Amino acid sequence: MRRIGVFVCHCGSNIAATVDVEKVVEAAKTFPGVVYAADNKYTCSEPGQEAIKKAIAEHNLNRVVICSCSPRMHEATFRKTIADAGLNPYLLEIANIREQVSWVHTDKEKATEKAIDLARIAAAKAAKDEELFTSTIPIEKRALVIGGGIAGMQAALDIADAGLQVTLVEKESSIGGKMVMLDKTFPTLDCSACISTPKMVTLSQHPNIELMTYSEVTHVGGYIGNFEVTIKQKAKFVNHDICTGCGLCETKCPAKVTSEFDQGLGKRPAIHKLFAQAVPNKPVIDKNSCLKLTTGKCGICSKICPVGCIDYEDKDKEVTKKFGAIVLATGYELIDWTKLYGEYGGGRYDNIITGLQFERMVNASGPTDGKIVRPSDGKTPKSVLFIKCVGSRDVNKGKSYCSRACCMYTAKHAHQVLEKIPGAKAYVSYMDVRTPGKGYDEFYMRTLEDGAVYVRGRISKIYPEGEKLISLGEDTLSNSNVTLETDLVVLETAMVPNPSAEKTAAMIGVGRDKDGWLQEAHPKLRPVETNTGGVFLAGTCQGPKDIPDTVAQASAAAAKVIGLLYKDELETNPMISKVDPQKCAGCGFCIEVCPYGAIELVDFPDRYQGKKIMRKVAQVNGGLCQGCGACTVSCKPGAIDLLGFTNLQILEEVDALCR
Amino acid sequence: MSQMQEELRQKAKELLEKGEVRYIIGWGKGRFHHRPPIFIYQAEDVDKLVWDEYCVANLGKYLLDDKFPEGKIGICVRGCDSRAVVRLVQDKQVKREDVCLIGLPCTGKVDQEGRELVKCRDCMHRNPPVYDIVLGEPVEEKGNPDRFKRVEELEKLSSDEKYEYWSNVFDKCIRCYACRNVCPACNCRECFVDQYRVGWQGKQKNCMQNQIFGLTRAYHIADRCIECGECERVCPVGLPLMELNRKLIKDLNSLFGPYEAGVNPDVKPPLGEYRLEDPEEYM
Ligand SMILES: Cc1cc2nc3c(=O)[nH]c(=O)nc-3n(C[C@H](O)[C@H](O)[C@H](O)COP(=O)(O)OP(=O)(O)OC[C@H]3O[C@@H](n4cnc5c(N)ncnc54)[C@H](O)[C@@H]3O)c2cc1C
Ligand code: SF4
Ligand code: SF4
Repeated sequence: MRRIGVFVCHCGSNIAATVDVEKVVEAAKTFPGVVYAADNKYTCSEPGQEAIKKAIAEHNLNRVVICSCSPRMHEATFRKTIADAGLNPYLLEIANIREQVSWVHTDKEKATEKAIDLARIAAAKAAKDEELFTSTIPIEKRALVIGGGIAGMQAALDIADAGLQVTLVEKESSIGGKMVMLDKTFPTLDCSACISTPKMVTLSQHPNIELMTYSEVTHVGGYIGNFEVTIKQKAKFVNHDICTGCGLCETKCPAKVTSEFDQGLGKRPAIHKLFAQAVPNKPVIDKNSCLKLTTGKCGICSKICPVGCIDYEDKDKEVTKKFGAIVLATGYELIDWTKLYGEYGGGRYDNIITGLQFERMVNASGPTDGKIVRPSDGKTPKSVLFIKCVGSRDVNKGKSYCSRACCMYTAKHAHQVLEKIPGAKAYVSYMDVRTPGKGYDEFYMRTLEDGAVYVRGRISKIYPEGEKLISLGEDTLSNSNVTLETDLVVLETAMVPNPSAEKTAAMIGVGRDKDGWLQEAHPKLRPVETNTGGVFLAGTCQGPKDIPDTVAQASAAAAKVIGLLYKDELETNPMISKVDPQKCAGCGFCIEVCPYGAIELVDFPDRYQGKKIMRKVAQVNGGLCQGCGACTVSCKPGAIDLLGFTNLQILEEVDALCR
Repeated sequence: MSQMQEELRQKAKELLEKGEVRYIIGWGKGRFHHRPPIFIYQAEDVDKLVWDEYCVANLGKYLLDDKFPEGKIGICVRGCDSRAVVRLVQDKQVKREDVCLIGLPCTGKVDQEGRELVKCRDCMHRNPPVYDIVLGEPVEEKGNPDRFKRVEELEKLSSDEKYEYWSNVFDKCIRCYACRNVCPACNCRECFVDQYRVGWQGKQKNCMQNQIFGLTRAYHIADRCIECGECERVCPVGLPLMELNRKLIKDLNSLFGPYEAGVNPDVKPPLGEYRLEDPEEYM
């Protein structure tokens, strides 16, 4: 006999102002199987929970329906409540009459009707709830951090300092990410290298950290607490075990190509360190530009290396390791403005550069030794125009979002021009100036006082005239057209997700939002978690941010990892898929669609036309299954069912709605 | 035609004599004009095999009657039979190494009065896309430019008109399940209509239940239908079942790109595949 109790919450006035709670209670009393219904001011409060426990005991309830807020809010709370009262925690259903009713409707009568419908559906499903049981799995006490920018470095250091083992995988030949390209950092203007390189060194020497540079993750299997990850170490052609990092080879290598690190403003040899303070401070050979590897002729570095560590036969290697948790810190890139902004010349004019190129220029260890020059002729510009929001906040051409760090670093850039080039003019074309942060507005004010000229409006066209660049736009404050004649134009372009993150995220089963940023589990309450258990986000891979926010988020992700890895074992979610081997035809379509690789075909002894045979049927690995239900819809014979959301339960819900 | 028939008998004899196959599924002479399937075990019986314009039935489905064979099965395949076998292999119901496909390029079959069958008029693959042996010369493909014409006409109807149209269609269904039984895409161990407790499908024969049967069956074969048209051919009350099947094919094509079931064994059906680069909504 089902004995269902229904508890309807007022949530103060959150629900009660729009839903006639008493009416819902009265209606609930008439639902099949319901033997008790009551309302409560705040069901999640202690008295609220006590009332439920009391009713369970007094009315001998064996199924509970709570009409309140979203289950994402309090499902865990209420499962515990009914468990305390002696019921299996999975005999609970929640009807969300707040987010789905009171907060989105105004007409009280109709809202009440809808609340009653949702309650009826929940009661119908509850009637078919069965007891479910969790089990436990052991946890591998090692974390994987993917991406070695400031986010990944901070997360790795925090986890390692807590006494746990960490592997940091970075696709470039050195850790550091974008931060090490920058010159100074707002709002304090401390030198970026001075604050990031010590971290890099500490990291490389940390006894709990294994650093894998020039490496990429190629396969991720397993599940929270027990990921199995294959990492490809790209061939370096330099034996780092014996290389001393003397750098002799770099000076003699005849193959010179455009430097990616210097954003195309300088050259680098084929055998190279990413930058002077690279960690590890040892070179790698870029196989696409090395003469020996492409043409077979050269071999100078091998001749010159005093310790003989050059190995042209080096091959990519793959290793597979187990991890309990994963932190994604794959960072950002700048949008390719040349494809989007034909009106700025689409990359045809040398003297239009990006903010990151500007950073390399002002950086004392950059290609111009810290001098701001025009790429076309090496002359010092007397006037510079910075254009903000190129590709950001531009639904027509670029992205709808704000890239968040640009307002501040543009102020930094303008300040640097005024400081480094006496008598120079710095113009900034802007839409808004957004400076919410400690010391941020003060920093912007200082730049204004320095003499930077801010013009509010977008630039619609840039063309060269003689040695100058002419920028046309409007000043929306004075409602007039402006024409700016400058020696250099810097485009402060939008941040976009690092393109390599797409594949990595898909491999791990982490979602991406409409713009490709990795998706957090909840924008407010679970900002560093993902919807895949045991996988966390740090830094700009989740969305544009500056260094302070990146570091804060990295430490938050580290705290989550530490919290997880400090446990000895993990409770599994019992709401997973289950196969009925009698119905299963063994087609294996479920295997194809399962994003978590949780299903395999196994032997099943059976009889077929009088013969004993062994046929294949699907089997779900309870540790891997995340309960997404993708397999259940792919299964045409209906052999797979999701426990807690069985086909039968869903059908009962539909039926209840149609009653 | 008769020369091909001779070649077929010759090949069948050879395969049976050498013991390369245990038996051969082909068409035989029946009581009426249409050729029923026959199963030839002995080399001396190969003359019972027939190949002419009346070999209509799709043979692929018969493989399901011997899913764990004690030797290789030889099976005659036109374009449609070949695609049926590919589908069964993709659904892991038949092992590719358990079958030997004897390909027969086909120029279409006719009914009692000598009229070309609708399913053959609409055929897009007269040559078997997959085979082990092929007899005769390849024939010219004629394609089917009108493949979605009828679907487009139906799409123009209002929802009410569509509902009325399909209600009328399914009102006539006698739930004999001939369409299901003949369909090479239908290979569940227990069909939803036979299950003791499915919930949405009752055993009553009325318009509502018939509609649910018809629609659910169409959905179940959505990315598997090989357009052999057998369902429509065998339907005793002549329901236009291919209209529904082609509507789903058309929708799948526009959602996931062009796909033809059973043509290429290496291309997975769109609903049975997850790719890393799938758009996010499908994760
Ligand atoms: C022009 C400019 C100036 C700026 N100035 C400032 C400033 O003054 N102050 C400030 O606070 N912020 C500034 N910022 C913002 C700052 O750059 C970012 O906040 C910060 O660098 C983000 O760090 P991150 O670790 O998240 O990303 P990144 O620095 O991008 O690091 C990501 C790392 O992950 C690696 N990676 C990516 N994908 C993979 C993969 N699949 N496998 C392995 N490794 C991978 C990358 O190679 C990279 O090393 C500026 C940004 C720009 C564009
Ligand atoms: S519900 Fe099915 S598809 Fe989803 S994770 Fe579990 S087994 Fe895989
Ligand atoms: S539904 Fe009809 S046309 Fe499609 S495969 Fe089945 S029998 Fe052939």
